[in-house]
Amino acid sequence: MAKMHTPAMEKIEKRNAKRKKPVKSTPAYESWKRFKRNPTALLGLAVVCILILIAIFAPLIAPYGYQTQDYSAMMQAPSSAHFFGTDQFGRDIFSRVIYGARYSLIIALFCTIAAFFSGGLLGIIAGYCGGIVDTLIMRVMDIFQSIPMIMMAMCIVAVLGNGIPQLVAAIMFASMPTMARNNRAAILRVRGSDYIESSEAIGVNQVQMIIKHMIPNAVGVMIIYFVGFLAVSIMMMSSMSYIGVGLAAPTPEWGLILNDGKAYLTSAPYMMLFPAMMIMITCFAFNLMGDGLRDAFDPRLK
Amino acid sequence: MDHLIEVKNLKKYFSTPRGELHAVDNVTLNIERGKTIGIVGESGCGKSTLGKTLMRLHDATSGEVLYNGTDIAGMPIKEFKKNYRSNIQMIFQDPYASLDPRMNVLQLVEEPIRVNHKEFSKTEVTKKAQEMMELVGLAARLESSYPHELDGGRRQRIGIARALSLDPDFIVCDEPVSALDVSIQAQILNLLQDLQEERGLTFMFITHDMSVVKHISDDIAVMYLGQVIEKCPAKEIFKNTIHPYSQALLSAIPIPNVHISKQRMVLKGELTSPIDPKKCCRFAERCPYAEDKCRAEEPVLRELKPGHAAACHYAEKFIPQGTP
Amino acid sequence: MSTNILNVKDLVIHYETDEEVVEAVNNISFEIKKGEVLGLVGETGAGKTTTALGIMGLLPDKVGHVIQGSVELEGENLFDKSAREMRKVRGKKISMIFQDPMTALNPVKPVGDQIAEVILLHDRCSKAEALQRAQKMLAMVGIVPERYKDYPHQFSGGMKQRIVIAIALACEPELLIADEPTTALDVTIQAQILDMMRSLQQKQGTSMILITHDLGVVAEMCDHCAVMYAGELVEYGTVEEVFDHPKHPYTKALYQSIPSLDKDVKRLRVVPGMVTDPSKLPCCCSFADRCTEKCEQCESGDPRIVNVNEEHWVKCFNYRAEKEEK
Repeated sequence: MAKMHTPAMEKIEKRNAKRKKPVKSTPAYESWKRFKRNPTALLGLAVVCILILIAIFAPLIAPYGYQTQDYSAMMQAPSSAHFFGTDQFGRDIFSRVIYGARYSLIIALFCTIAAFFSGGLLGIIAGYCGGIVDTLIMRVMDIFQSIPMIMMAMCIVAVLGNGIPQLVAAIMFASMPTMARNNRAAILRVRGSDYIESSEAIGVNQVQMIIKHMIPNAVGVMIIYFVGFLAVSIMMMSSMSYIGVGLAAPTPEWGLILNDGKAYLTSAPYMMLFPAMMIMITCFAFNLMGDGLRDAFDPRLK
Repeated sequence: MDHLIEVKNLKKYFSTPRGELHAVDNVTLNIERGKTIGIVGESGCGKSTLGKTLMRLHDATSGEVLYNGTDIAGMPIKEFKKNYRSNIQMIFQDPYASLDPRMNVLQLVEEPIRVNHKEFSKTEVTKKAQEMMELVGLAARLESSYPHELDGGRRQRIGIARALSLDPDFIVCDEPVSALDVSIQAQILNLLQDLQEERGLTFMFITHDMSVVKHISDDIAVMYLGQVIEKCPAKEIFKNTIHPYSQALLSAIPIPNVHISKQRMVLKGELTSPIDPKKCCRFAERCPYAEDKCRAEEPVLRELKPGHAAACHYAEKFIPQGTP
Repeated sequence: MSTNILNVKDLVIHYETDEEVVEAVNNISFEIKKGEVLGLVGETGAGKTTTALGIMGLLPDKVGHVIQGSVELEGENLFDKSAREMRKVRGKKISMIFQDPMTALNPVKPVGDQIAEVILLHDRCSKAEALQRAQKMLAMVGIVPERYKDYPHQFSGGMKQRIVIAIALACEPELLIADEPTTALDVTIQAQILDMMRSLQQKQGTSMILITHDLGVVAEMCDHCAVMYAGELVEYGTVEEVFDHPKHPYTKALYQSIPSLDKDVKRLRVVPGMVTDPSKLPCCCSFADRCTEKCEQCESGDPRIVNVNEEHWVKCFNYRAEKEEK
C-alpha cells in the first residue's frame, strides 16, 4: 500500500514480515531501539559485558594466581606460557591484568555510586529548590573543584593511609562538583517544562511531582552521566595508584601494575603495555556506551 | 448578572534585572457563568500571565480574583489548593510539551483523578478516566499509547480530559488550538463548545487569533502591554471597533477572500517594553492618531456604550456614527 | 522556450530510514512564470517544506531521496548539477526564507556583514562595495542602514525576519522560496512584513513560492494557488478560481473549517479523522478516508488530474464524473 514502491520499502516490508507481533512502543523501548541502531554503542556495550565476565570468572581464566611468584621465570617476554610476560618477581602479568579487572570495575562502580549519592543528590536538591539553597550548594562545589584532585588524594592518603575506602573517598570528593552540576542541569531542564506546570495545575503535590514526573524524566540523562563517570573514575584510580597514592602493592590494580613496570620501560616495555591497553580499552568502551546512551535517551542533543 | 469570576485591579509584576516587568497591569474583568470570555492580544501582552495568575500558577502582586464571591488570589496557597484547585482548571497551549512523555494516555488522564480523589479505589479511578476519554473522543484502544505516538489533536484531547476530569466550572484555555492544523483546530473548537453546553462550563479563551476568538467567545477583551484596552460583546468588536489598536489588529488579519480589498492600517514599529512603562497611553508610540494628551496621561477603561468599554482619550471620535 | 522560471516535473521525494519510508512528495508537477507568486497551501506534514528543500537541493543527507522527477530552473535541470554548481545557484538564483528567523542568522556576526557575505560570495565586488550594498538592502527592508553594525540579538523578531529577507534578496535572485515567513510573528508584524514583501517582489520582479497554512495570506499575496495534501497537489489554479470555485473536497473542507470573521457560524464544519500519515499512504486517493464526497472509484485507484479550465485543475474522481454528466 503505497503510492510508489521503492527498494527501501521492500526491504522494510520483508523485515516486518519476519517479526511475529508488533511491539508496543514505550519511551524506554524507543530509547533501546535507538541504542540498538548505533553500532559503536553496541560495541562499547559488548566490551563492557566481556570485561564484567572477565572480572567475575577471573580465577577460571587466569592461568596463575595474581600473587604467585615464580623466581625461575622473571622478566620474561610474552610467550605461550605467559601471554603478557612476567614481572620482576616472576608474576604472570596476564593473570594480574585479569584479576585487575575485578578491582578496577568494582572500585569504579563504588566511586561512581558514592559520587552520585553525594554530589548528584546535592545537585538534584540544588536544582529542585533553587534560590539560596542552590547558590549555597553550588558555591561549596566550586570551592571543592578548586582543590587539585591529586593533592586532595595525597592528603587523604597521608592522614588515613592507603586503601580502598580512602581511594573511593578521594575520587568522590574530586568528582562531586561535576556530578552536582550535571544533575542540577538535568533537573532544571525537567523542572522548566510545561508538563510540570500542567501537573501543578491539576494539583499534584511536591513529593509526587519529584517521584512521578521529575525523576523518571531526568533519569535518562543521569544514566548517561553515570556511565560516562565510570570511565572517569577508572582513569582517576589508575593514575592515583600509578603515582602511589592509590592502592598499595601487591593488589593487581592496573595503575599499580603500570607502576611496577615503569622502571623497566626500556628493557621490558610489555610490562606497561598490557595494563595500559586494558585501561584504554575499558575507558573507551564506557565512553562509546555513554555516547550511545546519550543519543538514545536524548536524540535532540545530537 | 451572575458573575462566576470577578477580577478586580489585578496586577502581576515580575522583577527583572532591568526593572519591574508589568505583565498584568490593573486588569478588571467580569466573567459570566456559562459564558466564554476571549482574551486577545499579541505575544508579550500578558494574556497568558493573566490566565496563570487566575490559576494561582503565579501569585498576584496585588488585586483580587473573586470566585463566587470569595477572593482566591489573596488566600493562602494551601487553602486554595485544598478547596478551589479542582474548580479552576487549565488547558495548555502546547499539547506536545504539556504532557509527561513517560506516561501513557490512561495514566495521564488518571493522574488528576487519583491525586484529587484519594477516596477512590484503583478501579474507580480507571473507570472515571475511561469515561473522560470517551467524553473527549479518545478511542479506548489508545489507552496504552504514549503521547509521542499521537498527533496534536489527540494530545490536546488528553489535555482537555485531564482538565475536565476534576469537574471544574471554570477553565482557562491558553491558546488551545494555535499549535494545531486548521482541520484539527475545528474539531477541538467544536468539542469545547459541546462540552460547554453539556456541562455549563465557563471559559476564559486566550488566543492571538481573532477569527477563533470571534467564533467561540461571548465577550472579548483586547489586551495591550498588560492592560485591557477594549472590552465588549464579541459581535460588537468586529462591527464597531473603538480603540485604534483593536482596529489595527483587525485590519492586519489576512482574510481568505480575494474580493475583499480592505484598507489596511499598518502599524509602525513593534511592541514597546513592558518594563517600567511610562505613565501615558502605552499604545501612543504606535498609534497613528496619538496627540500630546496621549503621551502625557494614562487613559482609563471607560464604558462608552452599554457593555462596550475602551481605554482611549479620544474614544468618542472612533465610535461609528449612526449606531445606537 | 516559455517564460517559465521554474518547471517541476513528476517530482517524488521519499525519506528513508531503517524503520519506515515516508512518502513526503508524490508525483507533483507545477511551473512558475516570471514574476509570479505561487502559494503552496497545506497542513503539517503535507510535504510543502520538503518540496522547497528538494528544489533547493537541501534535502537531509542519507535520509531524503529524490526518487524521480526533475526541477528545471530556466531550462536547466538542477538535479544534474554538482554540489559545487548548486552552491552557486543557491543565493544567487534561488533564495529561501525559513520560518524561524532566530536560527537563520549567525548570532556572533553583525547583520551588515552577514548580508555582505552573501554578496561577496556570488558577485565580484570589493568588500567596501558589498557593505554599501548591504546597507542599501537594510534600507530597502525598512531598517535604518546605520544599524548594520548591530548583532542579531539587538533586533526584535519582526526585524530579524526583515534581515533574513534582506539576505535572501541581496543578490536579486530569480526565485524566492518563503517557507512560512510570518508564522512565528504577531499579526500586526505579519502585516508589515507581507506588505514589504509584496512591494519588493513587485519592484524586483522576483518570482516567489510562498509556503503557508494560512489561506488568508495566500489570498492577499499570491497569483496562483496550489493545495497540497499528503504529498500531492490536489488542486491548482489562479487564486480567484480556487477561492471562488474550489473543486476538491479537501479544499472545500479547508475553507469551511476556518472560523470566519465576516459570517456568523454556530458550528464549524469539520474534516473528520486525522491528517493522513505519509508513511502509510493508501494506493488509492489519499484523501478518500476523510472525504465526505467519496465514491467507489476513490477507494480503488488514484485519481488523475482533471482540467476544469485552462488555469485550474483538480485531482479528484468526483469532478470528472460531474463533468461527464453535463
